[in-house]
Amino acid sequence: MGPYDEEMERYLKEFRLQPIRALEVAPHPRRTLWRRLTAAAAVAGCAAGLFWFARRELRLSKETANVRAPNQSVLNERQSRTTLALTALALADDERFEALLAEESRKSLPSFQGEESTLKVLAKD
Amino acid sequence: MYERHGAALAAYACSFGLDHSLAEDVVHQLFMKMLGEKSFAPRAPLAYLYRATRNASLNLRRDRQRETDLQDTEPWFVQHGRNYEEAINLQQALKELPEEQRETVFLKVWSGMTLFEIAEATETPLNTVASRYRYALEKLRERLGQNVQKRG
Repeated sequence: MGPYDEEMERYLKEFRLQPIRALEVAPHPRRTLWRRLTAAAAVAGCAAGLFWFARRELRLSKETANVRAPNQSVLNERQSRTTLALTALALADDERFEALLAEESRKSLPSFQGEESTLKVLAKD
Repeated sequence: MYERHGAALAAYACSFGLDHSLAEDVVHQLFMKMLGEKSFAPRAPLAYLYRATRNASLNLRRDRQRETDLQDTEPWFVQHGRNYEEAINLQQALKELPEEQRETVFLKVWSGMTLFEIAEATETPLNTVASRYRYALEKLRERLGQNVQKRG
């Protein structure tokens, strides 16, 4: 790499280039801004809808649970009432009570579980 | 980058026969393209801009030549203690240089790069770049020697 003509270089540098006009960077068009805002609103709307739906589902499931609980207590009450009625019937009218038990035994299977299950009681007998 | 090198790029575009306003358009479009493509990051941006300016200028000149003869007597340089004729002579001398030599002169003189930086940017051996620059200055002196001596 040899030396170059520095005098010539200095001469060239004395020439100033014509200035170039400013670069006009167009700002983001308003339409783009509106598109972005619309998209953001749509996303926010979807999120709000999902949130509302999720809360509604949660509330409904709680209500259903609340509804089921009384049903169970009603059933228990009904069963206790039946037990009381059957006890009363057994005390009052033994034959009728036996007939009723015989009829029920045809409709329902005996319990096979637990120490005091019907099957075990029968086996002991 | 635009402020630092825009004028040199425009003058370089002029060296391919465009008038100054067309040259400005070429440079504007290149910068707008670069700004528009955020992922776009050439390894050597300035060398890329010079090459892109060259290609765009040649394309534009070819298209415009079909329509009309281009007038290229508009000076690329500001009359700063120099007369019009001297500036036009320099323009003409620069235009007559081979492309690689002209590009090297613009990168070195008006974009302020060192020969080493030019070699890196253009992926050319340093010796080749230095030779191009030396030959270019020799040719310019042959053409403009009287003016240079007058100044000296």
